[in-house]
Order: sequence, then C-alpha cells, then structure tokens
Amino acid sequence: MFDVLGKLGWFFQQYKKQYAVAVFLLIIASVLDVIPPYMLGSVIDILTAGEMTASLLFQYAGIFLIIIIGGYFLNFYWQYRLFEGAINLERTLRRKLMLQFLKMTPAFYEKNRTGDLMARATNDLNSVSLTAGFGIMTLIDSTLYMGAIIFAMGFMISWKLTFFAMLPVPIMAVFIQYLGKLVHERYMQAQDAFGELNDRVLESIAGVRVIRAYVQEKKDEVRFAEMSETVYEKNMHTVKINALFGPITKIGTGISYIVALGYGAVLITNGEMTVGQLVTFNVYLGLAVWPIFAIGELINVMQQGNASLDRVQETLDYEADVQNTEKPVLIGTPKEIGFSELNFQYPSSQVENLKQISLSLKKGETLGIVGKTGAGKTTFLRQLLREYPIEAGQLIINGVDIASQTKEQVLDWIGYVPQDHVLFSRTIRENILFGKEDASEEEIEKAIQLAYFKKDLENLPMGLETLVGEKGVSLSGGQKQRVSIARALIKDPEILILDDSLSAVDAKTESNIIKNIQKERSGKTTIITTHRLSSVQHADQIIVLDEGQVTESGTHEELLQQNGWYKEQFDRQQLEGGES
Amino acid sequence: MSTGKRLTKYALTYKRPILMGLLFLTAAVFTDLAGPFIAKHIIDEYMVLGKIDIKPIAWLLSLYLILSIGTAVFRYLMFLFLQMGANRVVQRLRKDIFGHVQTLPIQYFDHLPAGKIVARVTNDTEAIRNLYVQVLSNFATSFISIAGVYVALFILNWKMALIAVFMVPIIYLWMILYRRFASRYNGVIRTKIADINAMINESIQGMAIIQAFRRERQMTREFDDMNEEHYSYQRKLLFLDSATSFNLVNTIRLIMFTIFILYFGTQSISGAAVVSAGTLYAFVDYLTRLFNPITNVVNQFSQLERSLVAGHRVFEVLDMTGEKVSEETMPRYEGHVVFENVSFAYKGTDYVLKDISFQAKRGETVALVGHTGSGKSSIMNLLFRFYDPSKGKIYIDGTDVTALPRQTLREHMGIVLQDPYLFTGTIASNVSLNDPKITHAKIEGSLKAVGADRVLKNLEKGMEEPVIEKGSTLSSGQRQLISFARALAFDPAILILDEATSNIDTETEEVIQHAMEVLKKGRTTFVIAHRLSTIKNADRILVLERGVIKEQGTHEELLAKGGIYQQMYQMQAKSLLGQHVVG
Repeated sequence: MFDVLGKLGWFFQQYKKQYAVAVFLLIIASVLDVIPPYMLGSVIDILTAGEMTASLLFQYAGIFLIIIIGGYFLNFYWQYRLFEGAINLERTLRRKLMLQFLKMTPAFYEKNRTGDLMARATNDLNSVSLTAGFGIMTLIDSTLYMGAIIFAMGFMISWKLTFFAMLPVPIMAVFIQYLGKLVHERYMQAQDAFGELNDRVLESIAGVRVIRAYVQEKKDEVRFAEMSETVYEKNMHTVKINALFGPITKIGTGISYIVALGYGAVLITNGEMTVGQLVTFNVYLGLAVWPIFAIGELINVMQQGNASLDRVQETLDYEADVQNTEKPVLIGTPKEIGFSELNFQYPSSQVENLKQISLSLKKGETLGIVGKTGAGKTTFLRQLLREYPIEAGQLIINGVDIASQTKEQVLDWIGYVPQDHVLFSRTIRENILFGKEDASEEEIEKAIQLAYFKKDLENLPMGLETLVGEKGVSLSGGQKQRVSIARALIKDPEILILDDSLSAVDAKTESNIIKNIQKERSGKTTIITTHRLSSVQHADQIIVLDEGQVTESGTHEELLQQNGWYKEQFDRQQLEGGES
Repeated sequence: MSTGKRLTKYALTYKRPILMGLLFLTAAVFTDLAGPFIAKHIIDEYMVLGKIDIKPIAWLLSLYLILSIGTAVFRYLMFLFLQMGANRVVQRLRKDIFGHVQTLPIQYFDHLPAGKIVARVTNDTEAIRNLYVQVLSNFATSFISIAGVYVALFILNWKMALIAVFMVPIIYLWMILYRRFASRYNGVIRTKIADINAMINESIQGMAIIQAFRRERQMTREFDDMNEEHYSYQRKLLFLDSATSFNLVNTIRLIMFTIFILYFGTQSISGAAVVSAGTLYAFVDYLTRLFNPITNVVNQFSQLERSLVAGHRVFEVLDMTGEKVSEETMPRYEGHVVFENVSFAYKGTDYVLKDISFQAKRGETVALVGHTGSGKSSIMNLLFRFYDPSKGKIYIDGTDVTALPRQTLREHMGIVLQDPYLFTGTIASNVSLNDPKITHAKIEGSLKAVGADRVLKNLEKGMEEPVIEKGSTLSSGQRQLISFARALAFDPAILILDEATSNIDTETEEVIQHAMEVLKKGRTTFVIAHRLSTIKNADRILVLERGVIKEQGTHEELLAKGGIYQQMYQMQAKSLLGQHVVG
C-alpha cells in the first residue's frame, strides 16, 4: 500500500529539500497544537483557585500570542509547500503522459481505448497527486499527530484516564474502515448506474432524428425516468451507509467523554487531577477525532494512488513499436519507392493483412489502389507512414530499406490525407497550417483553391478564421475532407497519400480536385486509394487488392482488358453513373 | 432570477423530506449541545476534593449517553431525509431537462456536439446534486449548529457570548472576500483543466495526423503553455487556501481562547464575579464546537461555484423555447404532398431553398438530384417538419402541415438516414424501437420483407442479437437493412430515404435495392438519390441547383429536354468511361 511512496521516490528525490522542510514543519505544528489546550487547563485551574494575577495573565496571553503568530506562519508554510509538491507532481506526470502519447504508434492506440487513456490522464493522475500531498498529511496526522495527542494526554494528565477514554477508538476505527469499504462498493454501483444513464442520454441525443421521426419522444422520456429512478435508488443505497459515519463517531466520542467525566470525577475527588486538566483532556479528545478518520483516508488514498500510479506507469513504460535505427541513412529526395515481398499482420489480427506485396513506384508517378472494403488498402499506406515495424519483406526508398532511415526523414516527404477526416478544434487557417507551420498567405490561398474549398469558405461565418470542431461550427464530411486535403497540399510533399479521402464529395468536385492535383504535382509522387474508379483512371499504375494480396495490376486500359474485378466494378459504376 | 434562487425554488418542490431533515437536524443540535451543560453540572456540583458521590454522577452520565445516542439517531435520520430530498430534487431536474430537450427544435442538435448536450442532462445535474447533498446540507448543518452554540453561550455568560458574537461579522466578511478570490481562481482552473483534457483527448484521436505532419513539438508547446498556466493558478489558489482557509479558522479559534483567558482573567483579578470551573469547561467546549462548522462551510465553496456554473448551464437549456410534444393522433393520410412556393433559410435571408413548387401524388417516388448544398436535405428537413418554411406552404392531403402538431404529422412518416442510427438493445428492439404497437410478428415480417433475414442469418441469435455502440459490430449493409425494416414496420404513408453513398459489397447492394423496392410500395417516397438506377426508376425527378428546382420530370422526359440533367448524365458517363465508348 505504501509502495506508492517508494515508486514516487524519483519525485521526492528531486524535491527532497521542499518535502523535508514541509514534513518537518508539519511535525512541529502537530506538536505545537497540543500546547494551547494544556494552557487553557492551567488557566482554568488558576482561575478557579482565585490565584490569577495581572503578570500571570500577561504571561499566558503573551505565550498564546506567540503560538498564534508562530503557528500561523508555520501552518501556512508547510501547507503551501506540501500541497505545492502534490500539484507539481500532477503537472509533471501529465506532461510525461502527453509526451508519451505523442511518441506512441497506432499499435499502442489499438491496445488502449481513448477513454482508458483519458482516465489515466485525469482520474488516475488526481489519485497519484493526492498521495503526494493529502496522503503524506494524513500519514503524519494519523501517526505522529495522534501520538502527540496521546502522549500529551498521558504525560501531562493521566495514563490511566487516557487508556480508558481511548478504548472506543480502535473499535470505531474498525467500524469506519468496514463501512468505508461498503460505501465504496455501493458508490461504484451508483456510478455504474449513472454511467448507464449517461450512455442512454447520449443515444437519445445522437439518435434524435430517429426518435423524432418515429414519434418516440414520450416513450423515451418514460425510459429515462425509469433509469433516473434506478440512479436515485443506487444513490440512496449508498446514502444509507454514508449516513452512519456521523452517528458512529458521535457515539464513540460520546463514550470517551463519559469515561473521561466519570473516571475524571473519581480522579479529581482523589486529588489526582484538577478540573483544568479535565478540560484539557476533553479538548484533546476532540482533537483526536480527525486522526481517527485520517487513518481511513490514508488507507484509501494510498491504495487508490498505488493502483493509479501502476496504471500511469504502465502507460509511461510502453516502448514505441517503431524505433529509429542508431545509424540512419540520409537521403535527399525519394526517387524510387519499392515494395518487395512485403508481408504484414496487425498485432490484433488473426490473419495476414498484407501478403507478398511487390511493386515499384518512380518519382512523379501516380499509384492507384482499389479493392473492397477491408482488402488492405489503408494497411498498405500505413507501411509508408511507418506506423508499424515491418516484419517480413522490405520497403525500400532509393535503394535503402525504410528501417534504416529515420521516421522523421520519411514523414517529411509525405503529405497524408486520412480516410477519417481529423480536424482539430481550432480555426480553419490553423488546421491548414498544420501541414506547414510557416506557410505564406499565398500558399494558404493556393492550397484552398486546389482543394476546391474556396466557395465553402465564403459561406462560413468567419471565413478562414472560423473555429471548427467541438467549440466551433461543425463542417460537413465533404468540407472536412477538403480542409484535410488542403492541409496536405500546402506542404507540397514529395509523396502525397490520399486514403479514400474524397468519398464525401460529389463526383464533379472530386474530378476537379483530382485534375488540380494532377496538374500541380507533375514530377511528384501521388498514391490514391479509392472506391470510385474514376479517381484513379489517370494513374500510371493501378493495383487491385483483395484480402491483402495484389490480384490485378496495370494501367486502367490493361486492367479493363484483364476482365477481372476491376472491369466488373468499372462496368457497375458506369451503369450507376456515380453520384449526382 | 439568479441561478441560486432558481435552484432554491427547485429544492422547494420536495419540501417534505427537506423540512423533516431540518427538523431532525435541529433536534440533533439541541441534544448534542446539552452535553456540556451536563458536564458543567457534574463539575460544579459533584467534583469536590475528597468527597465522591457516585450515584448522581452515574445518573447524569447515563443521561449524557442517552443524549449522545439520541443525537446519533437524529443525525442519521437528518442525513437520510436531506439526502432523499436532494436526490429527488435532482431527479426531478434531470427529468425536466431531458423532457425539455425533447421539445427543442432540431437545430439545437445540429449546432452542438452530442457530448455537450449530454453533459447538460447528466454531468451538470450531477454537479447540482453535489450542491444539494453536500453544499446545502453542510450549510444548513453548520448554520444551525453555530446558532445553537451561540444560544448555549448566551445562557452560560451573556457578556462573553456578546464578545464571541463580534466574530460573526468578521468571519462573514472574510468568507465573502475569500469566495471572491477563490471563485476567480477556481474558474480559471476549471476551464484550463477542461481545455487540457480536451486537447489530450483530441491529440489521441488525431495522433496519426500529428505524427504524419510531425507536429509533436508544436503540440508539446501548446500543451505546456496550458499545463503551466493551470499549475500557476493552482498555486495561487493554494497560496490563498494556505493563508486563509483552515489555517485562519484555527487562528481565529486561538484568538477566541486568548480573549476568553483575558476576559475571565481580568474578571478574576478585579474580583467582579466568580466563575465556576464548570462554566469555564462548558465555554471551552462550546468555543471548540463553534469552529468546526465554519471550516465545513469554507470547504464547500469551490463545489458551490462549480454547481452554480453547472446550474446556470442547465437553466440556460430549460429557458430555451421548446415546442410541446403532442400526443394527438390522426388517421393515416393518403400521402399527397404539395410544396407551394416554398422558400427556406436556416439563418436570416440566406435562402437555401428558393420558391420551390412541386407535388408528389400518393404512391409516387420522387428522386431529388443535385450537388452537395443544392438543397436536397433541406427539402427533407421541411417535409419532416424538422424545420418550417420561411415562405410558402407545404400541404399533405390538402392540409397545411403547420396546422398540425409535428408529432401528429410524423406519425405516418418514416425515415431512413444515410448513416442509419442504431440504439443499444437487440436487432428486434431496433426495428420496433420498443414501441408496443409493433408486434413481434411484425418485426419478423418486416425484416424478412426487406431481405434482412438472409444477411442476418449468420448472426448467432438472429433478431435477438444484441446491438452495441451504435451497431459497430454490424456491417453498414446490415445496419441499413435494419433501418429499412424499421421504416417498414411503422408502415408510413410518406417515406423519406437518404440513399447511402458508402460502398457496400455487390451482394448486399442487391439486397438493398430489392429492399428499397419493397419499401416504396404503396407510399409516397422521397429519395435523396445517389444511384442512377434509383433515379431512373423514379416517377419524378427534381433537379436542384442552389436551392432552385431547375428541371423536373421523368428520366426520359428530362433526357429528351436536353437540359442540365441530360448534361449531368452525359458528363458522368463520360468521366467514367474515359476514352472507352460503350454503346
């Protein structure tokens, strides 16, 4: 359980002075805390004996003043430094995670769902951060502070009284511990119910057109009401346990007070104790309530922190699948791309996703890739993006195996337009500039024109400065694709990769964009995958993929003559006339 | 009305449990505060040196125990009732906002991402729940406790109690000042962390792009800026907290004790009045109790801010004008649709449809043809009354559609969307939408009629096969067929079909073509057409361009006319055929 503090050793090491000072001052403050009640007791004794004098009074008031001022700064300082460490840890870990995410390749993201990774970057981070501040505080409060109170009770007042008055404490601690576990279980159930409610609402909202079209509003409300009732019941289920904490503490401390008063009365009449000491003792009892709870908190915080840190660490320790070689070969411009007998299988896949791929593409050529959904078109492109290590066969650029080149070098040549149009929540300008950070106004203008986005831009409220994504306007699929194309074109890359990236624009726009690309990119390499054969007709080479294999290849004319899948598909699309 | 007031008003909808809770709370405070009085009595009367009188002490201590148990029971009941009330209030609020969202016009959903709307209904109301269950119950407990302590102090010694009262305005002032600063810092921290998390989320989803364009450094830079700013505000808040919250309460408590010593000390020296040991004991006890509630209140401030922000957002939604969901029904209409000089703009005078007139007779199929943005989807939106025309009228069987409630009109309409939406449940429940009027036999029949049984046959549980996460385990063809079956099961008089563009394998394609034929039979059908075969088969083709009907007629008529349609047809044929001429 306390492993978590050991595992965070690197952090404590880094800030050891800060932590040493904070913890030391916290201990001093804890000890200082037991003095005022003691003095109160003495004053009461003096008062009841009628022995109070002006000088004595000033003396006491003076000491109190010193404790007040000293204590204030002491408390301020340790609190500030200790919790500063906690938020610093949170910041540091968050940065580490982000840097790690930026390094990870798709294999990592296939194994870890976004939701899980986000949970690590948020909830887990909070739990870990809690250990470094609140955790340490409760650790000291439940041990040293508790110790200080017990010692003060014993040494300054009476060990016997302390023993009897503290008897209910361990029983209370066990109860609280047990209830804590129960509450946690029930709380998780309540959270699950809430999660289900959340999913349900998401479906109602995302499917709002269906619900309205089929007039299901009222029935949907009824279903929602039922689920909200379940959430209510689960919450109340938790409440029933939660409600016990206060009363149990009340009875526990009540018994302690009764012991203190009853046994105290005996001791006072015996002359073993004064009334002032009894007051002091009872104030101590009041002070001891928090440390009892602190034990429970401590166990919680440390357990959760430990589990969370393990999860965070697991993410941080993941090694990127694609590593750069130690001695990379430098290449100026890619003149020839060659695949030889390349095989590939996704880590999560049962079958080979690419089999025996061989082809050669010269600078300036256009390669078209067609085939059914799931035939391996995108997988083929991903080899060039170096998203996975190559297992068998080779991918060669300018005669050099891609594995002997740095990932950065290869990616610098490539302009990539993915299948699912990913735009970031920023302005359209910033999204296009993602392709080339320092592009000039003219370059932006040109990219937009080539991507056929000019007219759309006029209709957007703020033109280029329109915010898109979560916080801004939502663009249509076709618009997103074209921004995504502009983003790749602005880079004027040596190799342009279009992964079925015109599926949401109509046939006419598509043919215009393709024409633009052909014209602008003479002398540069382009790779296009598509479902619409019209977009690859002009290509120098076309391959047909099926189940990861090249089944047909050649130019458009050659493929038509082969009378295979390509011809069949071509005829079909011809009959249907594409989209209008 | 301020958010706080409105939330209070909501709370009053469940008066009973809340009042019961407050009643038990008051009882608990009284039984609790009686304790020190008993202690005082024991100390003053029975703690005399050398003379022990066990019996009365035992009696008094038994009373003390009973009072403690009483307090415990009252507190338990108080907690239960207050929580019950709070949870009920939030449930009501949740149902209200969910119901209200159902009445909002469709543009609300078009303009906001689904996640945000969901957050209003669930997360924001959850934050409000925390307000009621944590913040308000803590406030109530604290205020009643403090009031109780003051009553006790006045009973003990009114002069000293008067001095203690002076603390109240000071603490109040401090709370206001603290809240002002803390709420500003908390606000920044909240929005920053939301931004950071949104960025991490987005980065994970767009990682392929970030890496392909090698923008890791730029992202790191932007991330660092946000992370550092978040940290710096966290530190500011921490500084404020360390300087003021718990620490300051502790200091004020010690100051009170100092005043206590000085007051009774000077009294003792001047010999004005003799104060009993028991009174002193009780005083110390009460003063200690005075400060715990204050700490509790201070600790709730950040949650209070969060809840108020959430409450504001919830009321914003509730304040939007919705249109009541009507439960009126009408007999099935024939499905004769007339558009008469319809113009429509989503915003201002930016017309996306201009002076559209056409009619579709009962049982006809109308194909809408045009480029993206030509107005095809807007016609669908109007027909379904997701939106209403800016000018002109739409009639169904001669009745102006705006004269009917939206729901009544839609009762006899069906829709198949391009990307069919499936709900979590089973295939059967997705066909029937759990509507009791769709029988099991009907579900089966519909699935069969559209040919879905063939495509679904290799699913283990057939139509009881579970559907998860929008049907992600099903192919797009399967999803399409399920949504066809859904439309068929509801047997609409008017059917609206947004043909899917996505590529489906040839076999499924044929099944879908067949399904469309089945579906169209006997109803007026509008198709946003993408396939030439669909267009050719239509009884009427509307060629749209920038919101205007350029041509209308059958395939042959339009070809013969030699207009845009003919050009479009030829251009596509040409672009597809290239240099190959097919006869």
